[in-house]
Amino acid sequence: MSIEVQLPALGESVLEGTVARWLVKEGDAVEQDQPIVEVTTDKVDAEIPAPAAGVIEALVAAEGDVVPVGGVLARIAAPGEARPGAQRAASARAPAPAQAPPQPSAPPRPAAPAPRSPAPGPAEPARATPVARRVAEDTGVDLGRVPGTGIGGRVTKADVERAAAPPAAAAATPARPAAAARPAPTPAGRGARAPAADRFGHYAVQEGDRVVPMSPLRKLVAEHMVYSKQTAPHVGTVAEVDLGGVVRLRDAHKEAFAEQHGVPLTFLPFVVHAAVRALREHPALNASVLEDSIVEKRDVHVGIAVETERGLIVPVVRHADRLSLAGLAAAIEDLSARSRTKRLSADELQGGTFTVSNPGRHGNLYGFAIINQPQVGILRMGEIVKRPVVRSVGGEDAIVVRPVMHLALSYDHRAVDGAPANAFLHRVKELLETADFDL
Amino acid sequence: MGDGLHIDWLGRVPYADALARQADAVEARRAGASGDRLLLLEHPPVVTLGRSAREENLRTPRAALVARGVEVHEVARGGDVTWHGPGQLVGYLIVDLAARGLADAPAFLRLVEAALADALARLGVAAEARPGMTGVFVAGSAPPRKLASIGLGLRGWISWHGFALNVTTAPHAFSDIVPCGLHGVSMTSLAQELGTERAGLLDEARAAVAAAFSERLA
Repeated sequence: MSIEVQLPALGESVLEGTVARWLVKEGDAVEQDQPIVEVTTDKVDAEIPAPAAGVIEALVAAEGDVVPVGGVLARIAAPGEARPGAQRAASARAPAPAQAPPQPSAPPRPAAPAPRSPAPGPAEPARATPVARRVAEDTGVDLGRVPGTGIGGRVTKADVERAAAPPAAAAATPARPAAAARPAPTPAGRGARAPAADRFGHYAVQEGDRVVPMSPLRKLVAEHMVYSKQTAPHVGTVAEVDLGGVVRLRDAHKEAFAEQHGVPLTFLPFVVHAAVRALREHPALNASVLEDSIVEKRDVHVGIAVETERGLIVPVVRHADRLSLAGLAAAIEDLSARSRTKRLSADELQGGTFTVSNPGRHGNLYGFAIINQPQVGILRMGEIVKRPVVRSVGGEDAIVVRPVMHLALSYDHRAVDGAPANAFLHRVKELLETADFDL
Repeated sequence: MGDGLHIDWLGRVPYADALARQADAVEARRAGASGDRLLLLEHPPVVTLGRSAREENLRTPRAALVARGVEVHEVARGGDVTWHGPGQLVGYLIVDLAARGLADAPAFLRLVEAALADALARLGVAAEARPGMTGVFVAGSAPPRKLASIGLGLRGWISWHGFALNVTTAPHAFSDIVPCGLHGVSMTSLAQELGTERAGLLDEARAAVAAAFSERLA
């Protein structure tokens, strides 16, 4: 005889929980009180212990499933009686309705009304939570046509409800599978505004698509980008920079530099050095917006945005204004080497006051980066390309070939107006073109 | 054992060590070898990932974030990403809820919020819980200014994890990693609200928090 592990009542106001992670698998022997599954609720996360010793016979609920209080999570067979996995697919994956939790002693319910679509199994195309399946049954929504926003693209109850909601006036006839596929923006719906994604469209996953869940880093980056774009009105301005002087300087010194300092001399420290000097002269760009104030910072800590194969990272060169060109080159080299070997401390990834983005050789002509909050400016390097430019040679205009890079500044117009931003960028250009660097 | 609340000040403890101490304390509580405890401490800077009900948080707990070089821990508590570090008073509550007749997780959460509001009142800041938002906020603040974050876990009916009260944390300690204000909430600190950086504020906060929890969990 097997024992059911049910989701316990975690509190009066807790009606259901989401299976976050199984700590055991079918066939595992467990001791009494051993935590076997982690369940999240909107209030707390709970590890549910095994009520008795035995062998896990079936994990009835899958990770991501929403289970009502009293719903069956797993079955444990007394030692010796185990039939691992025997009933997983066929059994009561569908818990009773959340509104009416079953009695703790209720036997497992048979799967709710036979699905019209192929039975759950390996070939099942639509991944959905049990609650979503039940709602789909009730509303006649074809699960296969509902885009899932849940874990791993799983269709959730909310997805089904959204799909089932008939556009505007047709509310009287809820069961309309045809309406399910694509909630369209509707002019009639102007009164009660639906979430943006409903109004502007979901993508319905097609066969053959590859669904890649976002990594935590990807999600952090995504949140940061949305936050920055929503918070800071970005304005862009671009300078065309003649790097002839810098190229000459670098060519003349790169071997001696590498020998003396042990790091290669790239273009990045030149740009950072020029930016830092310009920031000192234009502190408006070395600032943050803090509620109703603009905070101009004493210290200059420059974040260096670098794309790595693991994603975007922005190590910070602290007190960049106190460093010589060689010091900057060494600091940048050190940070990027350690970022490749994952040996950066948290301190080295925060506290930047301005950012320089270096997309590398394939940076294209120019592009506007998104400001790294809570900063107010970011400078993005374009690729360095030889271009014909007009110069005055002996009093005559002449077309000459020069290495040219475009530098694009994105700035936060809440804090910085066009004139100071352009003056700053112009100063960076001037410093780079003058190429007055100590080597 | 089991009567009252035993409170320890552990000083500055790395996150992983504190996690192990909590697990030990939960085990000891379960075995009846110790009573309910409140572990008070500070962490060196660290980012922790709660279960935000996203599978990838569970399956790729740290690989991606470690790539940034951040000390990162994925933990079985509610909530999303958070930051801990110097100037923040962290409290881990190892309490057998069932033994106290408190077998209601949301009710315990409200108790923790109320105890923190008590402590903040002693320290001179009126604070409150907000319906639908876990944590403790400056009373009447709009947009809400958050003083303390709460993330509780349960092992059976024994709680673990707890709260983090910003005492003298730098105003931008959070914004560099988690874009706070995403949901219209900004992080504040006791020092910021009091307008003082007076020495010993962390000690004062520790005493006030200890007193408040001793009363609520007498």
